[in-house]
Parts: sequence; C-alpha cells; structure tokens
Amino acid sequence: MRSLNIGATGMLAQQLNVEVISNNIANMTTTGYKRQRAEFQDLLYQNMRRVGSASSDAGTIVPTGVQLGLGVKSAAIYRLSGQGNILQTENPLDLAINGRGFLMVELPNGDTAYTRAGSLQLSADGDIVTADGYVVQPGITVPEDAQAITINESGEVFADLAGQVAPQRVGQLELANFANEAGLDAIGNNLLLETAASGQASVATPGSAGYGTILQGALETSNVNVVAEITNLITAQRAYEMNSKVIESSDEMMRSVTQLR
Amino acid sequence: MENAGYIALSRQMTLRREMDVIANNMANLNTPAYKGQSMLFVEYLESTDSGEKMSFVQDIALVRNLTEGTMNATDNPLDTAISGEGYYEVETPLGPRYTRNGVFRLDAERTLITASGEKVLDDGGNPIVLPPDSSDVTITRDGTVTTDQGPAGKIRVVRFEDEQALIKLAGGLYDADGQDPQPAEGSEVVQGMVEGSNVAGIIELTKMIQTVRSYSSTGRMVNDEHERQRRAIQALGGSTRT
Repeated sequence: MRSLNIGATGMLAQQLNVEVISNNIANMTTTGYKRQRAEFQDLLYQNMRRVGSASSDAGTIVPTGVQLGLGVKSAAIYRLSGQGNILQTENPLDLAINGRGFLMVELPNGDTAYTRAGSLQLSADGDIVTADGYVVQPGITVPEDAQAITINESGEVFADLAGQVAPQRVGQLELANFANEAGLDAIGNNLLLETAASGQASVATPGSAGYGTILQGALETSNVNVVAEITNLITAQRAYEMNSKVIESSDEMMRSVTQLR
Repeated sequence: MENAGYIALSRQMTLRREMDVIANNMANLNTPAYKGQSMLFVEYLESTDSGEKMSFVQDIALVRNLTEGTMNATDNPLDTAISGEGYYEVETPLGPRYTRNGVFRLDAERTLITASGEKVLDDGGNPIVLPPDSSDVTITRDGTVTTDQGPAGKIRVVRFEDEQALIKLAGGLYDADGQDPQPAEGSEVVQGMVEGSNVAGIIELTKMIQTVRSYSSTGRMVNDEHERQRRAIQALGGSTRT
C-alpha cells in the first residue's frame, strides 16, 4: 500500500520541521543568529490515467487524469537573513551591523569566516578578536595605553591615548557582502563560510552603498520570533499526528484484508 | 454467480487508491501552495444476459481543489504569494513550467530563483537579476521587483483557460501541456507572505475514516458472499449426491 509510505514521508518531513524549529528556539538569545525554515515540496506523481488521453475514438479526451502523488520531501533549510533587534549594551567593543554585511574573521587554519555576532574583545596583544579569540580582519591593534576606544558608523576605530587631545585613528573595520547570503555555510560558533552558492565576498567600508553601518555599544540579537516559532511548532506537531493516523488507518485496511477468508 | 465478489473488488481497489490520495494530501499539509486532490468516482454499467445491469465502481479522475491556501505572513522580502488565480512562470531545462509557490531566493549571481533553483521569469520571458550590492527588495502588487537601485523587472503571473488540465509535476511545478498562458488580470503579488497548502486536516481525516470503514465493510461483504457460495455449493452439491 502506497499510503503507508506516503504517511511515513509526511512524518519524516514534520520531524525535520520540528528539529529546525527547536534549533531556532534554542538560539533565541544567540547574538547574530538568523532563524532557519524548513521548506517542503511534493514528491513525484504517478500517472494512473493520463490527463488529455483519448477517452473514445470520437476524439473526446480525459479532462482530468488520475495522478497519484507519492508524498512529500524536504526541499531546503533556508536561512532568513532579516535584521535582528538591536540591543544596547554600553560595552565599547560590542558592535551591531545595521543593514547588510558580515564582519570577517580569520580562522586558526588561515581561512576567512564571516559573522554578524559583533561581541568583540581585545587579546593580550591588543588585537581586536571575537569571543573565540579569532582575529577580526583586517587586523587592528589597539595601543596598550589606550584609555577608550571609539568606533564610528563607517567602521573607523579611534583610541584615546594618555596625553593626547585628539583621538588617534588605529584602523578601519570592513564588511563583506554576498550576492546570496542564504547560500553561506554555517559552521557553528556564529561563523559562516563562503560557498559556490553564496557567490564571492565583496568587501567595502561600512556605510558604502548596499552595506550596513556599525553601531558601537550594541549587539544584534537573533531574529527569531518566538510566537511565530511556537505557532509553527503546534502546526508541525498536529501535522505529525495526522500523518501517524494515516499509517494507522492503512494498517487497519491491511488488517481487514488479512481477515478475509 | 461470482459477480458480487467482483463488484466488491472494484470498490476495494478504488478505495485503496483513494487512501493513497488522502495520504498524499496529509503528507503535504505543510507544503507551500500545495493543492489538495480528491478522487472522482463513476458508475460503470455492464449488461448481463438477463437484461439487468450490474454497476461497478471506477475512479475516473483526480480533481484538484483550486481554492487559495491560507496566507502566512513571514516578513521575508523574497517570499511572495499570488492573491487570486495565476501562476509564476519558471525556467527549467525542459522548457517553461508554472508554480504558485512564491518562496524565492537569490543565487550566486543574484538571479531570482525558486526553492529548487529554477529561474523566475519576467513578463519578457527573461530571468530577473538584481543589481550587485543592492538592498531593500520591494515587490509591488503588480509583481514589479524594485531595489534601492531602481526597478529590476516584473514577475510574470499567468493564468490558464483550463487549470484542471495542467499536469502536476514534483516540486510544486505544473506543466502547461500545450495550453497557452495568458496574463492573469486582477491577480496580485503579495510580498512577505507564503501561500500555505489548502488541505484541511479535519476533512482529510474524516475522509480517511470513511475510506477505512467502507474498506472493511466491503471486506465483510466479500466474506458474506463467500459464505453464501459455500453454503450453496454444500446444499446443491449435497442434493445431487444423495
């Protein structure tokens, strides 16, 4: 019976849906997290009676055929890159990107990763690093005797030095942009990698056309909308239950066959 | 003499296929823009020697429920839904195909594509490419895609004379099967919305219960018929021997 397998594809799809939703809820307060969505498509169709075939030799045709669908499959898990809320933290090295763009981070293996989580810190050498200690690209070193750090909208980093009236410019942050942000490969720890699907990174200073601006003393929270996630969770759970009913009913039909003499 | 069994068999075969259709609807309860299907049954008459007509059952067609699915707000700028009748035209290696699933995204060249990677076509039949480094995508009600760098194209929305005759393919696509697409007038493209599946879980569940019950009661009829024949053979066969 096809309906047994069709019911199973439905249950598998809803299970995946619940997994994606639970990951979103788990990352509700993760800085710079972008919520994901599972997308589904119908599986192939089996033609039992082809639409448009001749139903008589007088030229009449079948207006609607019998096309049996074979269930559902998951098409993609898509990252929605909408802006998260901006949370004021007053910490001078917390940066939020308002608009498009990613900060560039050098991984220990030399590759460049991209992130929107701007909770930065200083290393022992005065380098600006991420929470994991990876150096933000292009590398900026803050002098040891700096009393305060100011980062403006266009990503210029200034340090107030003892005995100097004017702040000293110590570096310039840059943002990377992608043609298709959803095509980036998430590797965990809020980091993303460039792929063939995302397109090549184009780098510019914050505030250029098409790039976001930097907000100092703020963090971008995740863009997870809890109410929407819970609603989706309820829908997914009910759909899961209904598909289990399909399997149960198919089983009952098969049982009534075995009871025939 | 065996006709009652054959008639019951014709019913049970169609019920099995109806169950498959219901299962497929249920499995696609969350598939964007999925249209539910239902089986259409007809009576198939056969004349017997005695002049009486016997009626078998036949599943002649699957009818697609063409009502609009529920609209879900997602706030994603590349999610669109068609309000009213109509289909988007997409490019596939086998020629143009049609879909109502407006969950779009961009590829590495910033071309507007569907979830399975087919290019969405504009009213001139060309793919829609957004300029590099553009942001703030707006899609107006007539399907015009605009970014902060100006208009990028107008999504084509078409309608068909006979929507039921479209051939359903996997992935929410339809084949026009020779019909000429015409511009869909009066239909609107709504940004930030996704058209859900139009399958109503409760109705499918009720249909499923009905199918299972009819199946088992037809099965009982087959049993009773078997019993009747056995007794007839016993009674008639027995009388000739004695």
